[in-house]
Amino acid sequence: MTPAVPLGAFIAVSAVLFFIGCAGVLTRRNAVVILMSVELMLNAANLALVAFSRRFGSTDERGSVFVVFVFVVAAAEVAVGLAIVLSAYRTRPVVNVDEAHAMRG
Amino acid sequence: MTAAEVAQVTGTFVPFVWLIAAFPLAAFFINGLFGKRWLGHATGPIAAGAIGASALLSIGVFMDVVRGATSTTVTLYRWIGVGDFSVNVAALVDPLSSVMLLVVTIVSFLVHVYSIGYMEHDRGFYRFFTWLPLFVFAMLILVLADNYLLMFVGWEGVGLCSYLLIGFWFERPEPQYAAKKAFVMNRIGDWGFTIGMIVTFLVFGSLNFTQVFEKVEIAEQGVLGLICLAFFLGATGKSAQLPLYSWLPDAMEGPTPVSALIHAATMVTAGVYLVARSTPLFEAAGPVLIVIGAVGAATALFAATIALVQTDIKRVMAYSTVSQLGYMFLALGVGAPIAAIFHLATHAFFKALLFLGSGSVIHAMGGEQDMRKMGGLRAKMPLTYWTMLIAGGALAALPPLAGFWSKDEIVGAAFLGGFPILWAVGVFTGGLTAFYVTRALWLTFHGEPRDHHLYDHAHESPRLMTVPLIVLAVGSVLAGFIGFPPEDGFIHRFLPAALYPHGHEVHHPQLAVIAALAAASVAAGLVGIFIGLSMYARRRPDPAAVRRAAGPIHRVLVNKYYVDELLDRRFVDLSKAFAGAAWAFDAHIIDGIVNRIGWAFGLAGSGARRLQTGFVGNYALSIVAGVLAIIVLYGGYAAGILRR
Amino acid sequence: MSFDFLEVAIFAILTIAIIGAGAAVVLVNRITSAALFMAFTFLCMAGMFLLLGAETIAAFQVLIYVGAITVLILYGVMFTPQGPRDQGLFFQKQTPWAAVLVALIALPVVVLSFSFKDGRPLPRGGDLVPLATSLFGDFAFPFEVASVLLLAALVGAIVLVKRDDEETR
Repeated sequence: MTPAVPLGAFIAVSAVLFFIGCAGVLTRRNAVVILMSVELMLNAANLALVAFSRRFGSTDERGSVFVVFVFVVAAAEVAVGLAIVLSAYRTRPVVNVDEAHAMRG
Repeated sequence: MTAAEVAQVTGTFVPFVWLIAAFPLAAFFINGLFGKRWLGHATGPIAAGAIGASALLSIGVFMDVVRGATSTTVTLYRWIGVGDFSVNVAALVDPLSSVMLLVVTIVSFLVHVYSIGYMEHDRGFYRFFTWLPLFVFAMLILVLADNYLLMFVGWEGVGLCSYLLIGFWFERPEPQYAAKKAFVMNRIGDWGFTIGMIVTFLVFGSLNFTQVFEKVEIAEQGVLGLICLAFFLGATGKSAQLPLYSWLPDAMEGPTPVSALIHAATMVTAGVYLVARSTPLFEAAGPVLIVIGAVGAATALFAATIALVQTDIKRVMAYSTVSQLGYMFLALGVGAPIAAIFHLATHAFFKALLFLGSGSVIHAMGGEQDMRKMGGLRAKMPLTYWTMLIAGGALAALPPLAGFWSKDEIVGAAFLGGFPILWAVGVFTGGLTAFYVTRALWLTFHGEPRDHHLYDHAHESPRLMTVPLIVLAVGSVLAGFIGFPPEDGFIHRFLPAALYPHGHEVHHPQLAVIAALAAASVAAGLVGIFIGLSMYARRRPDPAAVRRAAGPIHRVLVNKYYVDELLDRRFVDLSKAFAGAAWAFDAHIIDGIVNRIGWAFGLAGSGARRLQTGFVGNYALSIVAGVLAIIVLYGGYAAGILRR
Repeated sequence: MSFDFLEVAIFAILTIAIIGAGAAVVLVNRITSAALFMAFTFLCMAGMFLLLGAETIAAFQVLIYVGAITVLILYGVMFTPQGPRDQGLFFQKQTPWAAVLVALIALPVVVLSFSFKDGRPLPRGGDLVPLATSLFGDFAFPFEVASVLLLAALVGAIVLVKRDDEETR
């Protein structure tokens, strides 16, 4: 019995959300907003993983297992990322990634 | 054959001939390595002892050859071996080389002993006795070699040592200049030698004397002429003939023993030896001999005229050497190589004596070399005076001194060979020679002392210096008798085996003819002496008046025909300009290219550097751009647009 | 009565919500608004998971993302207040390039992603049992390692934020 919503639709949504997040990373100046965009990308990846896990391949939900690990890593990454942003904020009260070019060649 | 007979055929000393060269080389190493710190003044006796041992061994070898040892080649090792062609480090022991060995080692030994006294107070004592035996070693290589290439090694070696010894007192600019000048002019000659070697190799396929001389007939006369002219050019440089002579007077900047040994007795004779050794080639080359004879005669006359007006005692001797070398080449040119070698040997003795005697005078005068400041030294230095008088007489070719026999044979050969002009030049130059040597000796030893301060301090030289003078004086007297009776003496019967491997017709001219020619030469000499004494002893005519009367001529002679200035303008300035141009090319174009390349890299670098904005956002963007590229490529493959 | 229609409708609504909220996160000026839109995106994502039948994952999504991560982000926003002037500068210098690039990539990818087809029949039941079996069975070791990772992140975050002069207290 075919499901009502095809797999391709879920993947398409995931793709759109992923590229929205990507655009956010490359576009916004505020570091916290960039972090948020990264979370969007991760979510999109999760969606794709779960979709494939449920609709494609074997029934042992391996894709979902991977999603659990993505949760873990995302959480850790946000924590550390924000710690970095906060300590950078201490030196200059403007968290503006445009000004982080100390590694300029 | 019994052992004694075998020994007689090969000689008891001949197999050890390489030791003759080894002793000076050992002295060089010992003095060079240990002289400065540990040996100090012991370097002198070490070097002299080594040369003395070589001299004794040379006498042994000479006796072997006299007693009939055949021409032997004593090979040390095979140096170059390519297919059929080989060049060995080997010694050719035959009458010619054994005579040269004697002359070189004996005169070197005497000069070494003399130098121990002369250089006693010099700071570079050990250095002197490092280079001097090295020179002797190189000269021995030159003389002993059995092929042109090994000879060239010695040839270059003596050139090097000449440079080192002329520039011995290198703190002063004149010796530096003179050393460079000598070396560069030698080098021009060496170019000639090299071309001679190359063509010899191309034509004969070998550089070995014996092999080449065997095959002389296969070469056509034009090519042979080229070879001989090339070798003669080399000889011109080394033996200071026109046009490559002007280094020799400048070489007087070196210590007097150096002038005596290198620039009178040995190195400058290398050119004569080269041509003599190559007699089979030169005989077959025909017209080239005229060139040699003419150059020799012209040089003899030219140099003698300059010697007439020189005021530095060493320079008089230097031009005299050039002149006498001219005589030797004159002999070679008229087909009398025996006479040339004969004169080489006698000249070695009396010219070395003249130089060493001059050194004795200079030493006594506290370093003064200008004859205008000397005078009356006869009373103060009798030994030096008498020995120099003997040498002067030999130079003026007064019988029965050595110079008479050898020089007379040369001019006689010119006449008998059908070259009356060359004969006349030779005789006239003989007169000039007698004049200038009389003038030099008178100004130095007779008359009133012109500088009393120096005169008061003058003294006879120590025995280390005077004994060699005495020995050389004896040689100057006796050496002539190896050529007695004329045209039929010991040397005339001894040398031909080495010079003419294919045999040679011997002409024995009538005694009356010989006597007449001799009388003519002696007369010219006596006239020269008479005029000299008249002008300087009795002031009739007064030299100063003559100088004024012949003003322009005198100026030209004193300035040595302005040859040095001419060479400077023509060649030296040209070379400097060329060198300047080459430097400019190197600095601007070659370095310019290198710098431009560096600049281009720098430019590329700073261009590429703009990629490193330091802004991570840009880097992220470039990652995404890369993803796009991958997608495009993948899509292209998948769609079949792009082929793998 | 067909639940299919309902499924499609809910999917459509959730899609619009997710994409809209996601775009809002990237485009709005005020950070707090962006944070809240992000939270909303997470919530809708949980809905998507439910639609797929992955209830456990949906639960985790709400717990972790809507719960913890949103709070973290809000903390971050709170501790980095921007002056009013800074609010005006929102977009990086490379924005035009970025926009074009992303659009260029996005279009083909999205179009292509529609071509995926289901690989097996509709799954029955939730995902709890298979997930738990896999997670604590085959993937027990990575699970433990993940906890170590969290510990490391915890320590790291603390170290990074620590002030140096806190020692003296």
